[in-house]
Amino acid sequence: MKKAMITVKDLRKVYKLGSEKVIALDDINVTIYTGEVCCILGTSGSGKSTLLNMLAGLERPTRGQVLIGKRDIARMDEASLAKFRQKYVGFVFQSYNLMSSLTALENVSMPLMFKGVGKGVRNKAARQMLKSVGLGNRCDHKPTQMSGGQQQRVGIARAFVSKPRIVFADEPTGNLDTKTTIEVMQLMVQMARENDQTLVIVTHDPEIAEYADRVIHLIDGKIVSDISRGPGMDHLVLEGQFSNQETVHHTEESPPEEPLILEEDDPDVEEELRLEPEGGELPAGSTGGKVEP
Amino acid sequence: MKTFDLISMCFRNLFRRKMRTILTVLGVVIGTCAIIVTISLGLGMTKIQEDALAQMGDLTKIEIYNYGGGGGSGSSEAPVLDDKVLKQISELEGVEVATPLARADWSAMEFWVGEKFRFSGQVVGIYPEAMEKLGYQMKEGSYLTEGTGKKIPIVMGEQAAYNFYNVKKRDGWVYPYPDANGNIPDPYVDVMKDEITLRIGRQDEEKTKLVEYETQVQGVLVADFSKGWETQESIFMSIDDMNRMVAEYKKLNKIKESSNSSKGYENAVVKCSDIKYVESVESYISETLGLQTNSMESIRKPMQKQIQQQSMILGGLGLISLVVAAIGITNTMVMSIYERTREIGIMKVLGCEIPNIRAMFLTEAGIIGLLGGIVGTLVSFSISWVINNWEMIKMALGIMSDGSSGGFGMMGGMMGMGGGGQVSLIPPWLVLVAVLFGILIGLVSGFTPANRAVKISALEAIKHD
Repeated sequence: MKKAMITVKDLRKVYKLGSEKVIALDDINVTIYTGEVCCILGTSGSGKSTLLNMLAGLERPTRGQVLIGKRDIARMDEASLAKFRQKYVGFVFQSYNLMSSLTALENVSMPLMFKGVGKGVRNKAARQMLKSVGLGNRCDHKPTQMSGGQQQRVGIARAFVSKPRIVFADEPTGNLDTKTTIEVMQLMVQMARENDQTLVIVTHDPEIAEYADRVIHLIDGKIVSDISRGPGMDHLVLEGQFSNQETVHHTEESPPEEPLILEEDDPDVEEELRLEPEGGELPAGSTGGKVEP
Repeated sequence: MKTFDLISMCFRNLFRRKMRTILTVLGVVIGTCAIIVTISLGLGMTKIQEDALAQMGDLTKIEIYNYGGGGGSGSSEAPVLDDKVLKQISELEGVEVATPLARADWSAMEFWVGEKFRFSGQVVGIYPEAMEKLGYQMKEGSYLTEGTGKKIPIVMGEQAAYNFYNVKKRDGWVYPYPDANGNIPDPYVDVMKDEITLRIGRQDEEKTKLVEYETQVQGVLVADFSKGWETQESIFMSIDDMNRMVAEYKKLNKIKESSNSSKGYENAVVKCSDIKYVESVESYISETLGLQTNSMESIRKPMQKQIQQQSMILGGLGLISLVVAAIGITNTMVMSIYERTREIGIMKVLGCEIPNIRAMFLTEAGIIGLLGGIVGTLVSFSISWVINNWEMIKMALGIMSDGSSGGFGMMGGMMGMGGGGQVSLIPPWLVLVAVLFGILIGLVSGFTPANRAVKISALEAIKHD
């Protein structure tokens, strides 16, 4: 029997832009289980990052509940959220977000420092962690002296060092090449499995989803598919799902209005918008209806 | 988060931006320096002024006069200065002692050594126990004691011996001045050894009656004009003895005790334990009791006021530079927060608690203030040293370049006023106040930026570049 780790109930997020209301998440109901490697897949502007932020307590929902265990983090205040993150949550970012002035070792030991762990203990743990991500000889290097893949591995070490129950990864391979992506993903999944930790990955890349036990596909703030994949499950089902999604993306060609609004919220939107500079004509939410398989 | 980690992280952040930290600290240094130096100058000048006044007279002494009953008041209730009033005064807060300084008529009391040498100076009646409290120093012997038995105890002023002159000679004086060989001649009498007798006689052509008393010289005072010229040349005796002698003299000469003459002493002295009491005690005596008074307060007050005004102007300038320093700290912290927005975001996401973030920024600002305070104090000490040793430095510089520049010359002249004294005084409390003030400035100016850092949304911050 699987134990629920994160339970999302009727989650809704509406951004107000002047008089206009933009629905970023529309009545999301989902349960993520302990030890699950879960991938939230979606194009930019689908609301996937918003969902992750809600799950991690970085953003407040307009309505609905986010239960971690039995506690509703949507109702927590700043102080208890900080405490909550300190205790239960690890983060891996797309842009690594390492402290440039600190060495790899210090970066990794930082979450432990916030917890109040003494220097000796935390450095030992951090060293061990760096060794297990294959950077045992890079402890005293600054982030600027490392490659992107190495930096992300430091980021992973930092996320896992305090043995959190949940690790959130927001486009963890967004800035990495294919080879490094594979390394990083394998490393992350392996680490999560070792300690039975829940790993929630947000990505737009269907290839990443292959590493997950479960793929939640999000389009325009709605869950369009939620596929669990046990060991040995057929990949083709997923494949079909992705090709479908990609087709939609290409045929539509013009991004919906939503990403523009979410721009400040989602760094990769900007990037993608630059690639497709044509402005959209369709109003927000309308794409969702058409995409529905 | 452990306090040690927090502080070491703060130092790290400050060290990361060395130049900016140094400049900000420099601002605080200049501010604290300005404050410390101006206050120290004020303190030093006050000290010098007080020393100068103290040479003129005891600052804690109030003289009381009561000549001829009521200075022009003409009312029947002329103020009386007697033992009762003195007791009343001595019970006031801050009064160490109140004693009459009664002066006997020259003719009433005659001190003789043998038949040849007569004392020509003042005879002063005083409460015996007051001598020590008035700060009189003994050159030899002991303070005045109450009379015991027949001999009347007396104490001599330092040069009182020279006031014995030879009545048989035309110019029977010995002066305590050096002669051609630089030797100071000895007086006719040795007050500690010779028998001094006190004669009270009738003031007629032929002395029909003469009462003689033997006296006992108990000691010789050190002359100190700040304590009063009496210490130089007078003979001190107990006021009780004096009253007794005067009464006897009057009886002998058949002088009637008029009601007017019983109005007490003409002259008294009050000694306060501290300068701060002088004003209130003096106003009580002059206003409530209606007696005439005199003290150094009337000179000291305006001088003090002038110095205070000067100090305030200088201190104001110091304060302005400190305000500028505070703005500097705020600016530094605000800039630092802008630069580190992303870092703050990361820290928040990684579970750094909000009080820790606030503490981090406040500590950083506080460290800047503390460093500024400490360095400022050190610099102030050297500035103070330069001011105090200006004459010496000027001399040293004078060897190299003839004559100092105009501005410094003027300052040197101003400082020269103090003579060899310390123009700039930095007491320990000033150091403490300066350092604490530095920290306070840091904390106050770091407060707003710290709160700003706390309010930064973690989500926005991570995306900030």
